[in-house]
Amino acid sequence: MLTRRLVIQSGLATIAAPAVLRAQTLSGTVTLMTYTGIFQDNYTKAVVEPFQQAHPGVKVNFVSAGTSAQMVGAVRAQKADPQTDVVIMDVTTSSIGNAEGLFEKLTPAEFPVLGELLPEARAAGGEFGPAVTFDHLVIVQDAALKPQLAKLADLWRPDLKGHIALSAPPNIQGLALTAMTEKMEGGDYRKSIDAAIKKLKELAPGVTTFEPNPDGYSLILNGVAKVATGWNARAQLYSDQTGGKINALLPPEGSVFQVNTINLTAGSKNRAAAAAFIAHALSQGAQKAFTERMFYAPTNGKAEIDPKALARTAASPDNRARMIGVDWTEILKLRDQWNNRWRREVIAAAR
Amino acid sequence: MTASRRLSLLLVPAALFLLAIYVWPSLGLFRNAFNEVGPTGAMIPAWSLQTWRATLHDSFTIELTLNSLWLSTVATLIALCLAYPVSLFLFRTESRFRGLLAVVAILPMLVSGVVRVFGWLAILGDRGLVNTTLQALGLISAPLKLVFNWTGVTIGLAESIMPYMILALLAGFGRLDRTLEEAARSLGASPFRTFWRVTLPLSLPAIALAAGLGFVLSMSAYITPKLLGGGRVFVLATEIFEQATTNTNWPVASVLAIYTLLLLLVLLAASNLVARRLQR
Repeated sequence: MLTRRLVIQSGLATIAAPAVLRAQTLSGTVTLMTYTGIFQDNYTKAVVEPFQQAHPGVKVNFVSAGTSAQMVGAVRAQKADPQTDVVIMDVTTSSIGNAEGLFEKLTPAEFPVLGELLPEARAAGGEFGPAVTFDHLVIVQDAALKPQLAKLADLWRPDLKGHIALSAPPNIQGLALTAMTEKMEGGDYRKSIDAAIKKLKELAPGVTTFEPNPDGYSLILNGVAKVATGWNARAQLYSDQTGGKINALLPPEGSVFQVNTINLTAGSKNRAAAAAFIAHALSQGAQKAFTERMFYAPTNGKAEIDPKALARTAASPDNRARMIGVDWTEILKLRDQWNNRWRREVIAAAR
Repeated sequence: MTASRRLSLLLVPAALFLLAIYVWPSLGLFRNAFNEVGPTGAMIPAWSLQTWRATLHDSFTIELTLNSLWLSTVATLIALCLAYPVSLFLFRTESRFRGLLAVVAILPMLVSGVVRVFGWLAILGDRGLVNTTLQALGLISAPLKLVFNWTGVTIGLAESIMPYMILALLAGFGRLDRTLEEAARSLGASPFRTFWRVTLPLSLPAIALAAGLGFVLSMSAYITPKLLGGGRVFVLATEIFEQATTNTNWPVASVLAIYTLLLLLVLLAASNLVARRLQR
């Protein structure tokens, strides 16, 4: 007998059938190249595992080539026979991959989720892979340091001499710090970085290392440094994991967004599954889960994030208001010039 | 087929192996050196000398070269001063533990370079063994800056090349005839004079061999300057890595790699020439 329940169930089944069919028909392996360590651990829990549950036939394999620049190098080297399907990397390097034809363009017709993304997330990749996470540069400090740094200008405090770990350019942390220092000094990096270089030269003799290895957070936790440059998401997570031994400061003078994009490798051997993974990674659920787990700001404007977690990301209104508008494509053009000035003026002042 | 031709067949596997893992990738490197780089870092296929001109005319390339040569020279000299007495002892000793002592001397070769460097960070750091000991003895009030600068890199590099130099010295001590030293002593020469006029001149070919090896290893060393230099020590090897993996500028990295290779070939040829002259 045709009951109302049966009719509704049949209707829902009909609507869901294509998606269910697609989920069931996807199979094989998706090779995801991105950052390892805590990023991989948390991304697996928040994004990869739910995707694999929704697509039981698909297995997501992580591979790493190191930094974003090393990743684009690896994809470039595999151009004739791509070994990866999806790559999550910094926008400064994905733009190189886009220009070299290493990644595919993504269309709203195939990826309706693109319509849910924040405008700046779409703009980051242009017609190619959009932003999947936002982060920002912070000053990471030893929680035991008294008094705590309250602003970027505090980096020049005499008591911090010999306790500072900075990542110099060409590392993007160094590029971001240059733009932030220029703004702190009342300038604009688009016009000149003279004021920033002058100020950073004063800081240089007190810098322990311009190349923190393995990173600034570890150097603070190991007692090698008391202050370092770092990324907000990792700093927040390390703070939680160590019971608050480090703190992250978003300087009131302003900070700079770091953007990770998600990219579909041209010639992917499992394109359908790779595309499904990208759509999942950009979806509201995955964005919410990853933000609440690791404090990267979401790029999906419709993701409903727990306010407590959101306040610790670059996406909270207060934090967003402090961001310096930086066009990474423009900075890339200036990178060699800035790099040379750091080497010849800033680091030279520290020798 | 003559015996010598049959004998040369033994070289074929190694030659094929080298062809596959060294010559073929080197050709790729050579090709990349002629590509161009767009304003935002994208590599543009081309046959252009633009990167060569820009890199070789850049004063920073000269600075890198001088830094590499200076660092390699100092590290090699320090390592030689330390390795020579150890090698001479190992060559001369008649102890039944000679084999074991030789293994101990070259033991650092069995440890990963990265692990060794992190060991040096623990020893030379502000709160490391050296500084805490000196502070405990009241010899210094503030920690000495022994890492993240040239001092740390030189110490780490000298240590890392020392085992190789010990092996090279042991291999080159072939002409060191003890009877000549005994003759000198029997004719009234003091131990120091015997060493200065007999032992040292006879060991010069071994010294040249070891110094050549140590110098080449120092020139191509990457891990030690990278991790112990704290971003202050710029040498050719670190710059090649930086250009290839941070700047994604493969053409510049390739030009610098070919430049370094040619420089090393010239230095090796010079070292061989000196070693041959000393052997005469």
